[in-house]
Amino acid sequence: MKTSAGERAFGWLNALLMIGLCFITLYPFLYVLFASFSDATSFLQSSGLLFRPAGFDLGAYRAVFHNPMIMKGYGNTLIYVTLGTAINLVMTAIGAYVTSRSQLYFNKILMFLIVVTMVFQGGLIPSYLLVNELGMMNSMWALLVPVAINTFNLIIMRTAFQSVPVSLEESARLDGAGDWTILFRIVLPLSMPVVAVMILWYAVGHWNSYFAALVYLRDSEKYPLQLVLRDILIANNTDTMMAGSASDDKYAIGETIKYATIIVSTLPIICLYPFLQKYFVKGVLVGAVKG
Amino acid sequence: MPKSAGHPAAWRTIRTDLRRHWSIYMMAMPVIAYYAIFQYGPMYGLQIAFKDFQPTKGIGGSPWVGFEHFNHFFNGIYFWRLIKNTLLINAYDLLFGFPAPIVLALLLNEIRGRLFKRFVQTVSYLPHFISIVVVAGMMADFLSRAGLVNQILSSFGMTPVDFLKEAGWFRFLFVSSGIWQSVGWGSIIYLAAITTIDSTLYEAARIDGAGRWKQTLHVTLPGIMPTIAILFILQMGHMMTVGSEKVLLLYNPLTYSTADVISTYVYRKGVLEASYSFTAAVGLFNSVVSLILIVAANSLSRRLGDNKLW
Amino acid sequence: MIRKKQVIPIIMSAALACSLAACSGKDGGTNAAAGSASASQSANPPKLTDLKYWVANHTAATSQMKTYAEMGMYKEMEKLTGVKVDFQHPPIDTAQMQEQFNLMIVSNELPDVIEYNWINFPGGPQKAIKDNKIIKLNDLIDQYAPNLKKLLDANPDWKKQIMTDDGSIYAFPFLRGGEKVRVFFGPAIRQDWLDKVGMRMPTTIDEWYNVLKAFKEKDPNGNGKADEIPIYLDKDLFNIDAPFLGAWGINNSFYQDNGTVKFGPIQPEFKSFLETMNKWYKEGLLDQDFAAPNAKLLDNKMTTDLLGSTATYNGGGIGKYAGLMKDDPSFKLVAAPYPVLKAGDPAIWGQKDFAFNGIGAAITASNKNPIETVKWLDYAYGEQGQLLFNFGIEGQSYTMQDGKPALTKEILNPSGGVSIQQAIAKYNRATWSAPFVLSDDFQVQYMALPQQKDALAIWSKPTAERKMPLVTPTDEESSKFASIMADINTYRDEMLLKFIMGAEPIDGFDDYVKKIESMGIDDAIQVQQAALERYNAR
Repeated sequence: MKTSAGERAFGWLNALLMIGLCFITLYPFLYVLFASFSDATSFLQSSGLLFRPAGFDLGAYRAVFHNPMIMKGYGNTLIYVTLGTAINLVMTAIGAYVTSRSQLYFNKILMFLIVVTMVFQGGLIPSYLLVNELGMMNSMWALLVPVAINTFNLIIMRTAFQSVPVSLEESARLDGAGDWTILFRIVLPLSMPVVAVMILWYAVGHWNSYFAALVYLRDSEKYPLQLVLRDILIANNTDTMMAGSASDDKYAIGETIKYATIIVSTLPIICLYPFLQKYFVKGVLVGAVKG
Repeated sequence: MPKSAGHPAAWRTIRTDLRRHWSIYMMAMPVIAYYAIFQYGPMYGLQIAFKDFQPTKGIGGSPWVGFEHFNHFFNGIYFWRLIKNTLLINAYDLLFGFPAPIVLALLLNEIRGRLFKRFVQTVSYLPHFISIVVVAGMMADFLSRAGLVNQILSSFGMTPVDFLKEAGWFRFLFVSSGIWQSVGWGSIIYLAAITTIDSTLYEAARIDGAGRWKQTLHVTLPGIMPTIAILFILQMGHMMTVGSEKVLLLYNPLTYSTADVISTYVYRKGVLEASYSFTAAVGLFNSVVSLILIVAANSLSRRLGDNKLW
Repeated sequence: MIRKKQVIPIIMSAALACSLAACSGKDGGTNAAAGSASASQSANPPKLTDLKYWVANHTAATSQMKTYAEMGMYKEMEKLTGVKVDFQHPPIDTAQMQEQFNLMIVSNELPDVIEYNWINFPGGPQKAIKDNKIIKLNDLIDQYAPNLKKLLDANPDWKKQIMTDDGSIYAFPFLRGGEKVRVFFGPAIRQDWLDKVGMRMPTTIDEWYNVLKAFKEKDPNGNGKADEIPIYLDKDLFNIDAPFLGAWGINNSFYQDNGTVKFGPIQPEFKSFLETMNKWYKEGLLDQDFAAPNAKLLDNKMTTDLLGSTATYNGGGIGKYAGLMKDDPSFKLVAAPYPVLKAGDPAIWGQKDFAFNGIGAAITASNKNPIETVKWLDYAYGEQGQLLFNFGIEGQSYTMQDGKPALTKEILNPSGGVSIQQAIAKYNRATWSAPFVLSDDFQVQYMALPQQKDALAIWSKPTAERKMPLVTPTDEESSKFASIMADINTYRDEMLLKFIMGAEPIDGFDDYVKKIESMGIDDAIQVQQAALERYNAR
C-alpha cells in the first residue's frame, strides 16, 4: 500500500512523540526503582533527577521481606484477585447483557436505577452493618461480594455488547439458542477486547484495594498484600516517631521504604497487561466468529 | 421511562413483556438482587444528612435536624469559592484530561510496529500504579524553587517560578499531572474499542481512496464514538468531586484560593469535629447535582447521536 | 532497704493474684489489695478467666507480634492472675482506627475493655456513659481499685483531668507523672554553627535575630557561599504550643488567661509577632519555603548542612537527624530554650502535654464482670505493676541497681537491626501508652542520646500556664464550634502567610481582626469558655 509523504512524516513524528511519552512515563518509575535501592541519607541529600541509586542500600527491601506476613499477603491477594475477578466477570457480563437488551420493557428504568447507585451511596456504616448481618465479617467474602459489580464497568461492557451485530444473535435464536448460549457463545467471544479490559480493571482494583480489608478483616492472617505493606510503611514512618530514640536503624530506611513498597506491590500486577494485549489485535475475533 | 403503570394498557404491555422475556428476567435475578441488597440496601444511611448522627445512638436513633448541615455548608463564607474551584478543576479536566486518552489511543493505533506499540502501551500505563504520595513528593521536589524545572528555566534565562506557592499555577499542575498519570491507563478502553471495529469498513474506505487521516476521521472515530459518549456522560457524574488526597498533598494556604475544593474543606472540618452528618449532607448535595448533570448529559448525547445510558 | 522493696511486691502480687482469682479464706495482711479481696468475697463475683480487650496496636510491636498477648507484660499478667486476654487491634492508622471505633460503637458489638482516646469521643466521654456504652467507674474504683484510688487521692489535679464535667470517671487512665515524659517537642539549633559564629545559645527573640543574622552572613557551613537558611518554621509548627509565637504570650489558637478564653490570632501581640516574622522573612532569615511545608525538602536541607534551626521533635527530629548524620561528626543539632521577649522572663508557652491526654481503658456495658476487670486493671498502678509496665520483667529487660530499676544492655543496645523501642516493645508498652503511670525514670533511660536527655530538661522549663486544659464541649457545642472554626482557620492560615510574606501589609491587621470577628469568633470563644468553666468547676 502506498503512503503519501505527509503520512510518512506523520509516522515519524508520531513515533518521536511516543518515545517522548515513554520517557516521561517511564522515568518516574525508574526514579522510584532507584530511590528504593538508595541509602536513605544520600537519598535525602540528593535533589532533582536520579539516574542511579543514591548510595546503594538494600535496607528497605530487607525491611519489607523481613516481615513474616509478606508472603502470606501475596498469597491472600492472589486468591482475592482471582476469585474476585471471576465473580466480577460473571456478574458484570450478565448485568451488561441484560441491560443491553433494549427490547425489554423495564430496560430503561433498570438502567436508570443502576446509574443512580453511582452517585448515591448509603455510606460506610450501613454497609458495615449489612456485611455484619450477612455473617461475612472477617471472611474474604466481605471483600468480594459487596463489590461484585462495578457499575462503571458494567456500563462499559454494556456499550461493547450493544455493538455486537444483531443479525448474529437473531440467526442464533433461529437455531434455538437461549440467552445463556447467546451471551457465552456469541456476545462474549465477540467482545474479547473489552473482556480483557474488564479483567485488567477488576484485577488491578482488587490488587490495590485495602479499605474493605481494613474494615472487615480482623484476622491479620487474612490480610492482603496492600495491608501488610501499609503496616510496614506506617511502622517506618519517621515523621510519626515523636518520642522515639536515636540509634534506630529505622531512620536509615524510613525514606526509601516508601519506594520499595511501591516496587514490591506493583511489579507483579503491571505484568498482567502485556499478557492481555494479545486480545487487542484488530479484526481477528470478528472474522473468527463470522467464519 | 415507562408510562404510568396504573393504565390497563400498560399492564398488558408488561404482561406480554414478562412472558416473552422471562428467561432474560430470570437471568437478571442475581444482578437485581446484588443491586437491591448491596447498593439500595444501605441507602437508608442517606438520612444521616438530615440528622445529628451519634455513633452511640445509631442511624435510626439519632435526632433529626432537618437542613441544618446543608445550611452550614451553603452559608459558609467559602462556599462559592469551593464550588468554583471544584467545578473549574473538573472543567479543565474535561477539556484536556478527557480527550487525552482518546488522542493517545488514536496515535497508538497509527503505530505499525507491533512490539513498539505494545511497549509504548505498557510503559504509558505505569504512572497509574505510582501512589499519589510519591507523585506529589516528586512534584514538590522538581517544582521547588531550587528544583529541576527552575534550573531548566533559569538556564534559559527565565526567572524562577515558585510553582507550588502560586495560586495561578495550581489548576494547571493538578490537571496536567493527572493527565500524565492516567492517560495511558485511560487509553486502554479506547484501544479495546478500536479493535472491535469491523475491518471491512476500513477496506471500504480505502477503496474509496481515503488516506489514513480520513480513515481515522470517518471510520475509527465513529467506531469508538459510543464509548466516548458513554464515558463523557459518566464523567459528568464526577463534576462535583475532586478527590481530597492529591489536593491535600499539593496545596497550602497560599494556593487555597484556587486549590481548596469541597472535599478538602470537608476534610479540614472533620479534623475539628468528626462529623458524619455534615459529610453526608455535602455528599448528598454533590450526588443530587451529579445526577442532574448525568441526566442532562444523557439526554444531550441521545439527541446528538443516539448514544445513551437509558 | 533493698530487701524490703523486694518483699513488698511479693506480698502484693500474691495478694493480687489471690484477689483476682477470688480465692477465699486467705488473709492478705495489711496492704490495700487484701481489702479488695475481702470486698470481692462479699460481692462474690465469678472468677475472671478471659477478657476481650480492644486497643490500638503500635508500630513498634506489629513487626514482632500478632497481638499484645505475646508481650512480656501480658504473659506475666496472665501468670499472676490467670486472666487470658483476647486482644482486638484496629488498624494502626489513626483515622482508620477511629473509623473502626465508631463502627464498633454503632454495631454495638462491644468487647469487655476499650482503650481509646476518650476525649475524641463525639460529645465527650460523658456521652458514652449516658448512652450506656461504657460504665461509670467511680464506685468501683473506690471499692476495688486501691492503687489507683491512692494515686488519685494524692494527686487531685490528675483526678480532675480524668473525670468528666459531671464528675464521672470513665477509664483507667494513661498518666504521665513527671514533666519530662510530657515533653517531646521544641526549638532546636545547630550548636556547631553557634560555635563557629562564636555566639551563645539565644534565649530572647532579639538574641535569636542576631544569631540568625550571623548564620546568614558568617558562612557557618563553611562552603564559601551564603546559602545558609537560618531558620525554618511553619504554621503546623506554630500550632504545636506556639514555639517562637509563644514569646508574645499567645498561641495560634485558643488559650486561657486566668480563666478567660482568648483567641491568639486576633490579639494585638499577634500583630507584633507577624511584624517580626515578616522582617525575618524579608531579610532571608526565615526559609523562603516555609509556606509550603514539605517533609522531604526539609530533611534535605537539614542533612545537606543548609538549615541552622527549627522547631522539631526529640525523636523524629533531634534523634532522627543524629541518626541520619552519624557519619558527620561535626553535625550537632540540640534543643534550644523556648524564646521569650525579655531576657530573664520565664517562658510561658512550650509543648507540654497534660498528665492525662485522654487515653484510657474503659469498661464497656457488655462486660459481665466489671469488678474483677477493675481489679485486673488496677494492678498497673501498684508498685509491682509500675515496674512491670514501665520497665518490663526483672532479669530480662531490667535489673535492680541501687534500689532502682535500670534497663539492661540488651535493651539499650539491641542487636539484629532491632531498635530500642522495638526491644522494649517485646516486654511492655512504656514507649507509647497504656493504662499506667509512666515514670520520668524510664523516659530518661530510654532517650538514648545525651542531646535528647538535655532536650527533656530544656523543653520542660516553660510553665504552659495559658494552655487550655482538655475540655469537653457538648455535642451541640462542638458541632457549632466546628462550623465556625472551619472557616476561621482557613482564613487565619491564609492570612498568616500573606502577612509574613508581605503580600498583605501589616496595616491590614485590624481589618483581618474585624473579619474574624464577623465570622463568629465570639461564639466559638463562648463555647470554649463554657467548657473551661465546667472544667474548672470539676
